[in-house]
Amino acid sequence: MSPVSDKVLRRPLHVLVLLLACLAAVHAVLYSHYRHRLAEYEARSDLRQIATAALGLSDLCIATEARYTRHPAASDAVVPFMDHPGAIEHFPTGSFWAPPIPGGIREVGK
Amino acid sequence: MNGGLTKHLNIIDYTLSSLWRRRARNASVLIVFAGVIFLVASFQFVTEALTETALDSLRTAPEITIQRLSAGRQTEVPLDYGEQVASIHGVREVVPRIWGYYFDEVTGANLTVIGVDLERMPLGEKLNLTLAEGEVPEPGASGWVLVGRSIKRIVESKGTAYLSLFRPDLSQASYAITGVFDAVTDVLTNDLIVMDIGDARDLFHISPAAATDLCVYVANLEEVPNIARKIAAALPDARVLTRSQISQTYQVVFGWRSGFASVCLLTALAAFVIFAWDKASGLSPEERREITILKILGWETSDILAVRFWEGALVAGGAFIAGCTGAYIHVAYFDASLFRSVMVGWSVIHPSLRLVPSLQVSTLLLIFCFTVLPYMAATVIPAWRSAIVPTDSALSGM
Repeated sequence: MSPVSDKVLRRPLHVLVLLLACLAAVHAVLYSHYRHRLAEYEARSDLRQIATAALGLSDLCIATEARYTRHPAASDAVVPFMDHPGAIEHFPTGSFWAPPIPGGIREVGK
Repeated sequence: MNGGLTKHLNIIDYTLSSLWRRRARNASVLIVFAGVIFLVASFQFVTEALTETALDSLRTAPEITIQRLSAGRQTEVPLDYGEQVASIHGVREVVPRIWGYYFDEVTGANLTVIGVDLERMPLGEKLNLTLAEGEVPEPGASGWVLVGRSIKRIVESKGTAYLSLFRPDLSQASYAITGVFDAVTDVLTNDLIVMDIGDARDLFHISPAAATDLCVYVANLEEVPNIARKIAAALPDARVLTRSQISQTYQVVFGWRSGFASVCLLTALAAFVIFAWDKASGLSPEERREITILKILGWETSDILAVRFWEGALVAGGAFIAGCTGAYIHVAYFDASLFRSVMVGWSVIHPSLRLVPSLQVSTLLLIFCFTVLPYMAATVIPAWRSAIVPTDSALSGM
């Protein structure tokens, strides 16, 4: 290799460009995985909708430890404090799941 | 080549060399910053994926659900309420449903038991499609259950083919498992035990004249709010939930205000901004000497500012790319395992989520604004201070 081309290749900018090209390749693979996963998810979406309709479900089954995180849509915001007078909310999932929005889950028309 | 572009390429070259000279310091900033972005992006990817899943899966939820409150708690709904609701113009069908929780003392798991009349539910005839094993029994049969995959595992671990549950009077009821839900529906059915409505009534000792709640289906979806208001007026002690309210709940339930998790993430971000400020504002004698030499060589303040800008942009950009890539891998390949303990808490039963992280431009822009912009803002003043170092004062320190 000639001294000139050697000097050109050793420019930090070229290392950066090479690094960006590698990153682009990694992201292309991740993106193709994302498209594949998304297509698979959308193709099976109808099964989840059938289960929801046939069983009349209102909530996702992610946390099953407390009523208000198992069924947040069908619970009151005050449910965490309902176990007994002076009860405090103590389940770990209560820190991840926000309480229902003010007015979102209320008696319609009240 | 354009002179301005060449100048900037040379400045980037110089900046990269400068970053490399102080690689230990810059690497520590980059790693800490990438870690913060990883946490923020993971949280955002998880919450958006869960929200999308909820909105997509629950779009076929009952149009209106009626519950009854007594002493501030949900209680049984008299079936008479159903007759009153059915008489409201526009109501297509009212289906009573029995459901509740069952605590399994052996495993410590909370199970959800649902008793429905599948013949009266929408798409009830297609429920077979959601089963990985077995099938839905013929109408009128009793003593059967359809279970989620976790329930199946619990039953198998007990070495029995039947699911045995205790009634409130501690008498035992046994059910044959006739079907197991597919893994695709895990996010909805993992802890479910579905049985005939009569069996559920018997299990929970609920009166034949009552139900847990009523699912209401209307002829015209535009009329749902009006009908819901009419139901609320006719039944003062009822809580009336519409499908849109359920959707609204899931649009915020994993939101940024969801307490502890977001507070921790934002605290980490604030700590990092302070760290970045501290690192960038402390001008070392070596840096001061470097700036002085550059100025003697004819560099202007704007050129030094450009170097500082590129330093910040390269570190922040690198951290952003590394953090977001790591977050995607964490959520998509590892089911957000770092957040799992917060998401599921003490739950014994929890599904395999198989999340699809949201890769929308808006999401990435939000993460960028929450992380990179505060960093750039925190480093801009120190960068300006370093650029205006007077040559003579710096020379006196050499």
